[in-house]
Amino acid sequence: MVNSDEFKKKIEASISQEYTVEFLGKNFEHIVNLLTETKAEKVYQWIKDIVERKIEPISIGSKKTYKEWEVNELLTFRYPFSIGNAEYRILFVKVKNSVYIEFHLGDHKYYDKVRKDLDLKKSNY
Amino acid sequence: MIIYHPHNETLLNERLKEAEEFLAQIPVKYCFITGSFLYKEKYKDIDVFAITRSKKELKVKDKRVKITIMDFNDLYSLFYHSVSKSCIAKNILPTKQLKVTLSDYWHVINEAIPTLLNQKDKFHKNVRFLILYTEYFKTSEIFDTFQLNEKINSFKDYNEVMEYVKKELPGIVNKYAKPSYVKRFFYTQAGYYKELQEYAAQSFLYELTHEVARGIAHG
Repeated sequence: MVNSDEFKKKIEASISQEYTVEFLGKNFEHIVNLLTETKAEKVYQWIKDIVERKIEPISIGSKKTYKEWEVNELLTFRYPFSIGNAEYRILFVKVKNSVYIEFHLGDHKYYDKVRKDLDLKKSNY
Repeated sequence: MIIYHPHNETLLNERLKEAEEFLAQIPVKYCFITGSFLYKEKYKDIDVFAITRSKKELKVKDKRVKITIMDFNDLYSLFYHSVSKSCIAKNILPTKQLKVTLSDYWHVINEAIPTLLNQKDKFHKNVRFLILYTEYFKTSEIFDTFQLNEKINSFKDYNEVMEYVKKELPGIVNKYAKPSYVKRFFYTQAGYYKELQEYAAQSFLYELTHEVARGIAHG
């Protein structure tokens, strides 16, 4: 079982920035608690790989507004994983050439909602 | 029980009773089983779809059963038309006219390419939508789960999938969109990808958008 505060701290340490990244998601703490140490380590490594630009981001040339940004200013990194029979997704959002702003963790339904907000998904499927 | 477009009738008949038991455990009118359970000797999961407005969690005792809940708005999607094409359903399934656009297809490509490059070894898992949309726009045929698997298994590796998209997309765009729209849309997209070319996926998408727009410009 992984403690969610520890989990957040380790991610914040990896990205080392002054801007406070927001941790968002339905049942965020519950899902983190379900992670094994091995699975959590894989997430930390994935974050390091993002920082080192080894992971491919998803970006879309859309003028839609997302909070204070236009969607085309953002990069989204996606990490799928499963615990038992349930599938989860992480979406880590960064402003191009700037700070990481949001770390989303949730089930497929939540993932689809964030994708729609970020204009990465058009139709329902 | 309604059977839609079976691929392996012998196997299907053996599994009919089991399928009926699974569907009976789901308290919604419209639910169906699709995927490898219907046509493969060995399968991992049993894919069940339930069409309902209810937010209630649905469960079946057997852990192999994976239930996906669909809203009635999803019935217009290419995904629903694909998964419901060959299946065993509790009742006659509702039908809605397919609504799919070239813009939806571009969104699929835009998301699939980075995902493919991040998980090169697991490319089979990540190209379902990409192949489904490409084949639909190329041939007007909606692949069911069996046809989709056959097509996906015909690719040796992720590189072949990328080459396939590169080969098929210009012709598809040419067929479905007006040249003025194509030039405007794809050159605009290219501008966004250009500044991210340090990433392989964005570089590929940049080349792809250019190729499509160039193809239109040169007739």
